[in-house]
Amino acid sequence: MLANNARRAFALLQKRPYICQSCLRRARSLPLVHARLPKARTIQTATSGAQTPPNDDAPFRKVLKDAAKQKKKDNRSASGASKKSSKAGDARLEKWELTVGIEIHAELNTARKLFSGAATSANATPNTHVALFDTAFPGSQPHFQKETLLPALRAALALNCEIQHRSSFDRKHYFYQDQPAGYQITQYYEPFARDGHITLYPHDFPAGVCPEDGPIIIGIKQVQMEQDTAKTVQQPPSTYLLDFNRVSHPLIEIISLPQLHDPVTAAVFVRKIQTILKAVNAVTAGMEMGGLRADVNVSVKQKYGQSTNNIHSYHGVGELGQRTEIKNLASVKAIEDAIVAERDRQIDLLENGGVVEGETRGWTLGSKTTKRLRGKEGEIDYRYMPDPDIAPVVIGQELVDHLQQTLPALSDETVSTLVDSSTYGLTIKDANTLILLDDSDRLDFYYDVVEHLRTIFSEQPQIVSRLGKVAGNWVLMELGALFKNEEWSPTKVTPDQLASVIAHVLRKQITGSTAKRLLSMKFEGDARSVEQIIADEDLFLSPLTRNEYLHLAQSLVDEKAAMAKDIVEKQQLGKLKWLVGQMMARSAEGTVEPATAEAVLREILHLPPMEQK
Amino acid sequence: MSLLRHAERQIANLGKYSHLNAFINVADHESVLARVAASAESSPSTDNVNARSPFGRLIAIKDNICTADLPTTAASGILKLLKSPYDATVVKQLREAGAITVGKTNLDEFGMGSHNLHSHFGASKLVRGGEERSAGGSSGGSAVAVATGQCWAALGTDTGGSVRLPAAYTRTVGFKPSYGLLSRWGVIAYANSLDTVGILGQNVESVEGVFDSLDFYDPQDPTSLPPSTRSRLPKQGSGGAKTLKIGVPMDYNISTLDATVRKAWLRSLQLLQARGHTLHTVRLPATQHALSAYYVLAPAEASSNLAKYDGIRYGSRAEGKDGIPDSVLFAKTRGEGFGPEVQRRILLGAFSLSAQAIDNYFIQAQKVRRLVQQDFDNVFATPNPLMTSQPEVDGEGVDVLLCPTAPTLAPKLSEIKGQQPLHAYMNDVFTVPASLAGLPAISVPVHADEGVKAATEEASAWSGMQIIGQYGDDRVVLDLAKELFESASPGP
Repeated sequence: MLANNARRAFALLQKRPYICQSCLRRARSLPLVHARLPKARTIQTATSGAQTPPNDDAPFRKVLKDAAKQKKKDNRSASGASKKSSKAGDARLEKWELTVGIEIHAELNTARKLFSGAATSANATPNTHVALFDTAFPGSQPHFQKETLLPALRAALALNCEIQHRSSFDRKHYFYQDQPAGYQITQYYEPFARDGHITLYPHDFPAGVCPEDGPIIIGIKQVQMEQDTAKTVQQPPSTYLLDFNRVSHPLIEIISLPQLHDPVTAAVFVRKIQTILKAVNAVTAGMEMGGLRADVNVSVKQKYGQSTNNIHSYHGVGELGQRTEIKNLASVKAIEDAIVAERDRQIDLLENGGVVEGETRGWTLGSKTTKRLRGKEGEIDYRYMPDPDIAPVVIGQELVDHLQQTLPALSDETVSTLVDSSTYGLTIKDANTLILLDDSDRLDFYYDVVEHLRTIFSEQPQIVSRLGKVAGNWVLMELGALFKNEEWSPTKVTPDQLASVIAHVLRKQITGSTAKRLLSMKFEGDARSVEQIIADEDLFLSPLTRNEYLHLAQSLVDEKAAMAKDIVEKQQLGKLKWLVGQMMARSAEGTVEPATAEAVLREILHLPPMEQK
Repeated sequence: MSLLRHAERQIANLGKYSHLNAFINVADHESVLARVAASAESSPSTDNVNARSPFGRLIAIKDNICTADLPTTAASGILKLLKSPYDATVVKQLREAGAITVGKTNLDEFGMGSHNLHSHFGASKLVRGGEERSAGGSSGGSAVAVATGQCWAALGTDTGGSVRLPAAYTRTVGFKPSYGLLSRWGVIAYANSLDTVGILGQNVESVEGVFDSLDFYDPQDPTSLPPSTRSRLPKQGSGGAKTLKIGVPMDYNISTLDATVRKAWLRSLQLLQARGHTLHTVRLPATQHALSAYYVLAPAEASSNLAKYDGIRYGSRAEGKDGIPDSVLFAKTRGEGFGPEVQRRILLGAFSLSAQAIDNYFIQAQKVRRLVQQDFDNVFATPNPLMTSQPEVDGEGVDVLLCPTAPTLAPKLSEIKGQQPLHAYMNDVFTVPASLAGLPAISVPVHADEGVKAATEEASAWSGMQIIGQYGDDRVVLDLAKELFESASPGP
């Protein structure tokens, strides 16, 4: 009954005529546009901050490689940096304990705004999706859009929160030109979700920085819904243009308990929240585009001995040092670096006999230290007031139960399935990439390919154990390269077609390069079956005889005697590969297998045989 | 007299009484008359001069209610040129009922005031016995327009008495329905939880006729009473046939009550008793705190509601540069655009919501508000349909309350111009409780003495008598108002 109702609500949402259809289309296509770059790489961008966007022409594989390289480099430099900064240091961190709490704002994935029927939009013409209330026009009133609760509830459930039966909206007052009403509508007194937590597993951490003491549980104090502000477009020197399309786009604010004690863990926490929100389809693509905003609270205290300073209590967590708040951090990298900088600043201050002031500080990318914005006396008094025009929100248990039951699998479970099970056996990196690509469409496609292959090779257990890994390579690398400049579609090359191509390679019926050519023919729309193309184009591997191999190899070695000498005498084995390439180039397609060619060459040159992989 | 004849006379009065400054903007006379003529032609039966129907009638709209045809200024400098792209729901409903809007009436800026002195466009006022008197506020322009026959009826808004007080001062009928019955979509908010669209007319019938056209659920207004709750309200009053138990709140018999007003109160009670109704004294002890609670809550909401006026998206900006690098770009605009009373209330509200004061002011005032409502529930015989649990009613309970609308008659402008703001706030002492509780209340003109002819120099001795009913008992209130109005009128 309830399931029906919910389904009907979803169906209605799609049919609503007054939701700008072009925006909905755009919203649908957005993640696809971004699928050009694998999401792992986009997150990487967030980590490294200053990286230049990759050349669009770079092959897909190269993009991935670069991303991996960059990641390693970042990890090295990050751990190096923290080591360096604490050289003096290490001992200080033994003495001082860091405590961090984080508030994360994320844009909800909804068709309409929080308090008007206007469509949400990402890149629409400025000021084209604005209802009277969105501009705070006199006499207009808020119309709470119930549907916006659905992604918010999914997010809160995924963060293991208790959904509150009753919640309400309050006005948070401050003046700024991007805030048309002079206040933001948020949930201050009665948020819709409280008392959640997430668990950070070893696989959530970058290689080498995983803490030893197993999974870490971080408490979520509350999750609240609120409005976004208008977008300010600066036109130097002195013009500010305002785009009200974004006003009242629904946001959730996630407030963690001050239970983070390490900058890396804090970064991992934020990235994990991102992944979870995405996995349950709660947020817009905007979060990877820079829509993430976080505020962090940082304090330090001496680990041992009594300190009279540790008298503060935040969100019920007591015995903490005086905290400061760093506002408006726009990337994971910024969060991590700002925490390191603020931690070190506070320790310096305290070790030199100073006192940490409760104040608001700012941090800009690339800077070494946080900067004071305003002290306690300059704190904004938001004058929270219950909004008299908005009735309390009452959420039925049936809806909560339904959403809980239909919550998409969280990435933790998926990652461990993909990595640990014998069916798949992927690397953590490939598993994460599959999950993040195209809202997990790529993952579904991958599952289908593996399923087909397992059926094909059901009699050959020695091959079955390799299928998951092989299929992962083909889906991510070869097929990924073809979709580099296009929106992902699971129908251009279907899972059974890809499985057929892979099966031919595994049976050594075609060469790898033939397989790639086949794949690209199917991709370009060749309607014939894979088998038909192989037959029509005579692509079957018809290997040279041993004599033919020997003859071909010998003539090549004779022709390139100097090179052969280098290979034998200087052990320049790399040049062997060039000779293999020549052998392939000089023969008909599908007749020379690189491995056999290299073996024959080694034989002629009296080199030891190749190592078996 | 035909519809057109009425309209022509009212249009003529627009010119005759223009010095009273009742209107901020007036519709083009010719096109108004043309529309009346068209209405009269389309429905030539005698029904069209029905005393109740707004069809073909000229109605004035308080200028804090949005209209697409005329500017909507809220009598504020910051909105002096504002053109609304849409009609408020109540305006739309009136147009659909065949009414013709004649103009936008003067008010205290954003509805904040009790004498209509705080208007960017100058005060609206009464002239009696050659002396300028307060028209009451904040719907002073609407009241003057009705009192001087410049329209058939007028819409006002009532947040703490802004329709009832001007009605009392101008010898008109002013009705504030139960909160949530009339749509606020398109009504510029002063204090949302108290704001109510109200109706002013020369008699109860016209007020009721307008009310009938507006008493509908509006999905655009999130505080509009939904149909499910409306269905629980009494459909109609007694029609005057039933004898009512009339409560006389002794807490309203304050020492500063003007002797003429007290006399009119007694006369009203006698008149109604003579018609068979019974009188019962009741106590409303929280009333003495109601005024203070109101002047904490209303400014708090106002300070929030008026934060949107920055001259950026609409409205007027201050001349020249505004803002310094460290501040927002509209400090000067707000400083120049708002009048002194509005600024005072914004400051009051900002203070009572501030972290240091909210517990002692805003929260306490909300508690008082709840006590005031419980006071009313304690004395009414019918339970409050919005409450799930009902308090014990003392004795049998009463059907309605009768008390003065204001403690004095319309004061002379010369007397109030130098007054402290607190003095002006005192005028709302009797109207604020019904606002805090969201109850229907109407002010009916009653003369202290019998047999007084209208429009004589004694006209200044007309007081407003207020009938307050339980939530949703709007028809009961209107029916008794008709009885009081008829029995108190000097007759044809």
